[in-house]
Amino acid sequence: MDWQQLLALTPILLAASISVILLLVIAFVRDHLLTCLITCLGLSGAALSSLISVGDVAQQVTPLLIIDDFSRLFGALILLISLISAWMTYPYLQATDEIREEYYILLALAALGALILIASNHFASMFIGLELVSVSLFAMVGYLAHSRDQVKLTLEAGVKYMVLSGVSSSFLLFGVALVYAYSGSLSMNIFSQPGSPLLAPQYLILGTTMIAIGIAFKMSWVPFHMWTPDVYQGAPAPVTGFLAGGVKIAVFALLIRWLMPIQGPYLPILHNGLMAMAALSMIFGNLLALRQDNLKRLLAYSSIAHMGYAAITLIAAINVGNLSPLLAAEAAGMYLVTYAAVTMLAFTVLSHLAAQDLNYETGQLSHYQGLLWQQPMAGMGLIIAMLALAGMPLTAGFIGKYYVFIAAVDQQLWPLLWLLIIGSAMGLYYYLRVILILVNNTPEAKPTRNWGLTPLIILLGLATLWLGIYPGPSIAWVQLALAGF
Amino acid sequence: MQLLWLIPALPLLGFIILVLTRGQMARQSARLVGVGSIALSAAVTLLVASDFYAQNQSQLGFTLELWQWMSAADFNAGFSLYLDGLSLSMLFVITGVGTLIHWYASGYMWDDPDYSRFFAYMNLFVAAMLMLVLADNLVLLFLGWEGVGVCSFLLIGFWYKDPANGYAARKAFIVTRAGDTAFAIGLFLLFKELGSLHIQDLLQLAQIEFSVGANTPTLIAALLLGGAVGKSAQLPLQTWLPDAMAGPTPVSALIHAATMVTAGVYLIARCHSIFLQAPDILLLVALIGLATLLIAGFSALNQNDIKRVLAYSTMSQIGYMFFALGVGAWSESIFHLMTHALFKALLFMTAGSIILALHHEQDIRAMGGLRKQLPVPFWCFLIGTACLVALPPTSGFVSKEAILNASWQLPIYGPWLWAGGVFGACLTALYSFRLIFMVFGGESTCQPEEPKGWQFHPPLLILAVLSLFGGLLVLPAGAVLPASPDGHAPLLAELIAIGLPLLGIGLAYQIYSRGQWQQLRHAPRLSHWFEQGWGFDSLYQRLLVQPLLALSKINKNDIIDQMPIQLALVSSRLFTIFSRMQNGQLRIYVASMTAAAILIIALTVTL
Repeated sequence: MDWQQLLALTPILLAASISVILLLVIAFVRDHLLTCLITCLGLSGAALSSLISVGDVAQQVTPLLIIDDFSRLFGALILLISLISAWMTYPYLQATDEIREEYYILLALAALGALILIASNHFASMFIGLELVSVSLFAMVGYLAHSRDQVKLTLEAGVKYMVLSGVSSSFLLFGVALVYAYSGSLSMNIFSQPGSPLLAPQYLILGTTMIAIGIAFKMSWVPFHMWTPDVYQGAPAPVTGFLAGGVKIAVFALLIRWLMPIQGPYLPILHNGLMAMAALSMIFGNLLALRQDNLKRLLAYSSIAHMGYAAITLIAAINVGNLSPLLAAEAAGMYLVTYAAVTMLAFTVLSHLAAQDLNYETGQLSHYQGLLWQQPMAGMGLIIAMLALAGMPLTAGFIGKYYVFIAAVDQQLWPLLWLLIIGSAMGLYYYLRVILILVNNTPEAKPTRNWGLTPLIILLGLATLWLGIYPGPSIAWVQLALAGF
Repeated sequence: MQLLWLIPALPLLGFIILVLTRGQMARQSARLVGVGSIALSAAVTLLVASDFYAQNQSQLGFTLELWQWMSAADFNAGFSLYLDGLSLSMLFVITGVGTLIHWYASGYMWDDPDYSRFFAYMNLFVAAMLMLVLADNLVLLFLGWEGVGVCSFLLIGFWYKDPANGYAARKAFIVTRAGDTAFAIGLFLLFKELGSLHIQDLLQLAQIEFSVGANTPTLIAALLLGGAVGKSAQLPLQTWLPDAMAGPTPVSALIHAATMVTAGVYLIARCHSIFLQAPDILLLVALIGLATLLIAGFSALNQNDIKRVLAYSTMSQIGYMFFALGVGAWSESIFHLMTHALFKALLFMTAGSIILALHHEQDIRAMGGLRKQLPVPFWCFLIGTACLVALPPTSGFVSKEAILNASWQLPIYGPWLWAGGVFGACLTALYSFRLIFMVFGGESTCQPEEPKGWQFHPPLLILAVLSLFGGLLVLPAGAVLPASPDGHAPLLAELIAIGLPLLGIGLAYQIYSRGQWQQLRHAPRLSHWFEQGWGFDSLYQRLLVQPLLALSKINKNDIIDQMPIQLALVSSRLFTIFSRMQNGQLRIYVASMTAAAILIIALTVTL
């Protein structure tokens, strides 16, 4: 490993050092604010170092990691999401009597895992990244097991996530083993390598399928989605935010990197599998969200549907005979960026509210009645988030959905497009229902003043609108990230 | 000339002011705005007209482009106004007669609680009507066309608390809508065939592109005629006009006598070169006019409501205008439009005075002997009737004789059409003087209180003078429209045409003057049939309304709507089913995950 390669690893090293530094600091001083500030500082430092090196030559650092503009830019996005997550955690944890400081170590580790995931082009690093994220999240989901009234839900969510994640990881690992048996290599670039003359290509197909199953669990694609609503509901709001924003985006970025260069005879199988999962996710996600009376579960189902929409871009990218997969990849990238902004906005509002009143944490929609009049900023933020999730024009959600549309039309994926349209129509129903509840005032409600996360809500709300009104810079950003492919 | 845009803009401004103040304005101010805007518009019309004559542009026409309205591919329509002899003639009628009627209405409606709403609608109507006649293209014309339709609806149903008025308003709107639909289809077809909706271009293109009597121009002309008969209450879409009398009397005078109902005549005159390429339709126009004027004449003879008599008479007079258009007497038709606007507005407003004097009594059987008690209305009504009957030397005589004369000139059908027209004139005399004798003649039976004041008598008197001497006016429309047939009918024919109305008067005197009409029940059934407007209403009721209502009853739950409703139901059912699967039990989750994985692996390996 030479100097250049070490330099390229700076963001990952910085992110790794956060947890080490935190461990040391906590050993001497227990101070919530200090811990949070160190985390934020470290994360922004890593993000900056990642952004500064954009445009440098792509570096293959050991066979495990590749640091190209894609890793740098999506890495910066992940670090930004982690930063927001740390920010929204602070007031939330402040309101509990739990031991707070160790949470940030877990968050930093999860961010590190996500960074590795994005940069990996080797199954070993991929697995390390994935597990780093998952294991940190087990603890994060169940972190408040001692202090909250909904102990059972939180703990239950943590355990469920751990068990199911373990099942999916076993599939993934077995798949990797099969691929290794066939090709003798753990490189993710499996399809371009000559296979073993001894074994039938079924090994490769089977391996790929099992890896895909493992990843589908993380993406909560139907039929591997069962954990999503329970975990979303049970986890503390900031953790759910990171789960929905950070993890999904990191795994999806990995998928883009893995599937984009695919060519060859194995395409139709992956293609059909993805297609089925996308279709099922759109149908089930929207149907299950339809009459949901719990906001956190509703957001879970909505994220299932949204991951179904996102899958369309992948299908378009690997569609047989697609001569310009970059358009589909651009759509995928844009979808991730806009989805990140919207999801973080929604969960910031939830964290903001949950830090004040535990009733909001349960997610029961009835507690949200007349929110707009009680806390105008939080109410507006949630309304913008709902409109964006529904794909209303002038919000980030519209741009994302528009890109999915273009990608689907470009590859003539008509059945999926129809499902997308029907799903959007159904989405309108349940998102607007939430808005109606937020707007519908109750007579006894009084406006309350609570600064809390309001600045973050305003920032993210403006970002959501800005992405919808003036998407030019973010499109250029995504195109830059994809230029290497 | 550049002030042309002010003519429709001023009434529109009046409307906006009246609407924005939402009836909070004092009556005096509302009157000032409502009447003043029309009066100013009339003044601007005079200014523009003097400019027009000074520049001698009667041949060329003047276009004032305001702004682009819509533009799509090779279609574009602008907010452009066009002034030529024809539209100037219409401007005179609308703003001139309109001002007098507004003036009169400011007194007539004084006690109404919705005074300012009334003037808001009236101003909007005038604005729309002016837009209609000034439109440079057919799209803008259609805007005005629909605008006057809406205002007519609003004003017929002005006293909306009585459901009958609302019914009349809906009837008028829906029946004319049938015609409007034909009109709109005609516009689409015109654009498809000629690629433009700019009226002046169309007139030239029609002559170049269409051959005389071909199918396309015939179809287009027939569709345009459909719009015209709807708006002008001609056969077969005439049934709405008598019911439209439910509105306040000034509304009947302005909309349902002087201006809106003549829009159909204007439309045909405006598109004359399209109709000239379709001689069959032109003949049809004449026949529709003739049939309507006769049917309406018989109906008028059997009405007992003073306003309904006048409504049928309006229908019949517009029949004359259509008749004139059909026989090629284009400018005579517009001339008759103008004189009719004058004397029919006079008749309606006088009738309004009588109705007010009798405390909203409209039945002529309850009137009688009003000659001495209401001298001013009597003389005004007499003058109006004389014009209507076309007694020389009134304006009505000048215009109607010109039409009959022109119809005689028409080859083949000429004399037959002429005979029908002359018979209609006799009928007109009969029902008009029936009205005079029944209302003003005989013994006094009631105690009228005549409304007096500067809002009642001056407009009546001005209109009376204009009606008498309106025949001397020369309209600038002639330069725009095709020339009428030359020559004169034989002297005998002319004498008959003059004499027959006199015969009708004599007959009316014989029958109605001494109250003998009460014995006149020889043919009660026929008379009743005439009174009901020849049974068109019940015919349409059976033929169209009832089947439609039956259909709508069948489709009460909207069959098309069932699809989305079912979709919603199915979705909501599926939600219930699927959420039961989401039961929170870890073992179920693991099992389903594993099952799904096994299924996928099996599919992958076997395929």
